[in-house]
Amino acid sequence: MDWEPLLLTFKLALVTTLLLLVISIPLAYWLAYTKSRIKPVLETLVSMPLVLPPTVLGFYLLIAFSPSNTFGNWLNEYFGLQLIFSFEGLVIASILYSLPFMVHPIQAGFSNLSSTIIEASYVLGKSKIITLFKVLLPNIKPSLLTGIVLAFAHTIGEFGVVLMIGGNMPGKTKVASIAIYDEVESLNYDAANWYSLILFIITFSILLIVYLVNGGYLKRFWK
Amino acid sequence: MNILKGKIKTIKSSGSLSLVTIDIQGIFFSTIILETPSTASYLIPENQIKVIFKETEVIIGKDIEHAISIQNKIAGKILEIKKGDLLSKLTIETRIGRLIAVITSDILYQLQLEINENIIAMVKTTEIMLSE
Amino acid sequence: MIHIALQKKLTAANGTMLLDININIEQGKLVTLYGESGAGKTSIFRIIAGLLHADKGIITVHQNTWLDTDKGICLKPQQRKIGFVFQEYALFPNMTVKENLLFALEKGQDRQIIKELIDIIELGELQNRKPKNLSGGQKQRVALARAMVRKPEILMLDEPLSALDTKMRAKLQDYILKIHKQFNLTTLLISHEIGEVIKMSDHIFSIKNGKVVKQGKPIDVFSTKQVSGKFQFSGEIIEIKKEDVIYVITILIGANFVKIVADETEAQTMAIGDKVIVASKAFNPLLQKIN
Repeated sequence: MDWEPLLLTFKLALVTTLLLLVISIPLAYWLAYTKSRIKPVLETLVSMPLVLPPTVLGFYLLIAFSPSNTFGNWLNEYFGLQLIFSFEGLVIASILYSLPFMVHPIQAGFSNLSSTIIEASYVLGKSKIITLFKVLLPNIKPSLLTGIVLAFAHTIGEFGVVLMIGGNMPGKTKVASIAIYDEVESLNYDAANWYSLILFIITFSILLIVYLVNGGYLKRFWK
Repeated sequence: MNILKGKIKTIKSSGSLSLVTIDIQGIFFSTIILETPSTASYLIPENQIKVIFKETEVIIGKDIEHAISIQNKIAGKILEIKKGDLLSKLTIETRIGRLIAVITSDILYQLQLEINENIIAMVKTTEIMLSE
Repeated sequence: MIHIALQKKLTAANGTMLLDININIEQGKLVTLYGESGAGKTSIFRIIAGLLHADKGIITVHQNTWLDTDKGICLKPQQRKIGFVFQEYALFPNMTVKENLLFALEKGQDRQIIKELIDIIELGELQNRKPKNLSGGQKQRVALARAMVRKPEILMLDEPLSALDTKMRAKLQDYILKIHKQFNLTTLLISHEIGEVIKMSDHIFSIKNGKVVKQGKPIDVFSTKQVSGKFQFSGEIIEIKKEDVIYVITILIGANFVKIVADETEAQTMAIGDKVIVASKAFNPLLQKIN
């Protein structure tokens, strides 16, 4: 069996999750505390990947990133970035696709925190940044964990977007879900079964750990 | 609480005590208080003042007028009697207004107080409070 | 001297209300904002702290301008040297008692103050506990200590004791008074407990519908009629009972119950929970020595 698609899948999920975490914390913070009128618009955009067929997202990204297009051409010329049929393109598509899975739990975590502890920090002379890192984030650890794991697991499971924008290039864009599809197409059920089983076991374990930790069963390990 | 409105007539002070005379529609009431004009701003002759005393502090006298060490007296007529087991409540009509007196039911029987009877209502000077 | 002049339109449960106050507070005094809930006391506090913006206003604290809407000056909460004790404690759940205090330290500030406060407010045994393992009274002590770490110019206490029982409350009042005197603070308190207000404050602003309706020394503000009774206490009605032709009203004064006889006409105007003044002539009470 070829392990490459599996390794590629986890590499993609890891990179996507890390980048998503960096993007989602400020975004969720803004969504949780803003009184801006454009908040509903932004919330809708963040949630779109939940309901939109992945192929729609993939299709538009394919159009946008295509070198024959102005944006795609500009990326290529100034950054040397070729986003279609490349790993970088997959990462960007995955970030958009899994955005709600990371943003929603973190936003909910912020919203559930009592606003007085934020104010308490401000009147103690602490800046917004210090308050975020010392007070807010440590108190929403379960939400962060949920976001990280959901985004990670969701990225492992994506198929439509990847197929549209990444295609099926071994070692570059051929992730496990594509590989399964590929093997089934060529009636290679044995290999498809192995990939599927491994994905099944890993995602099951990841989710199980989240529920155990957030349910307080493993408190000793998460303090 | 019995509250009567009057006007301060005289203030006699000694140390931190004052004996204040109040004119209530021509009837003079006196009270001794632990205040002087320098500690209580309302103690000024001619000032409007409220005279306050508890209904339980009203003493009722009947028939004979004998010498008694109570300065504040007012003649009145019993308007209403509410009898209780131990205590009874009298409403008394006087020329300075209605007063309420709470006395024991025993003495009500002993004195044979009845509605429309003429009596004297009395209050000790030490039981009267003043209020603006 | 602290000068506070504020205007702000507030949306309350029953329509809008204009908060409009203009008060001066002497340095070193303990001053109480007294009034019913919804009168605007907490909003005044939040504006002073910089957590809420005034429509128009000036706040000067010892010659420093914290707020001047005409000149466009509005210091951030972080820049105003205040200690704020919230009604709901607002301790950081992720930190122990000691960490809560350490968090409040300013850059380069001497840690000695933490030790001092732990001693004064007697938190020694609690210092390694997390807030969730503390009782209400303990939490409020920690909140008080934390508010003091920065050595604030104004200590603000927003109904700090309302969630505590009578005994705990009396103890915390003493802690607050101790801190107030020891650090020579100017302290602002929000409270609607007359007993507490009289015990603690030097000066009272009675607030109603966003305006100061009365101010002065506690006893002057609360004795609505200046009664000549020298034997005066304020308390709360606990029970009204008809007995024979009279009523017996039980009143809680501090931690003591007293029973007062009243006539029907008075009893009808009173309800359980009402605040009352109990007054008697100085001539009546008996004194007896206890050994």
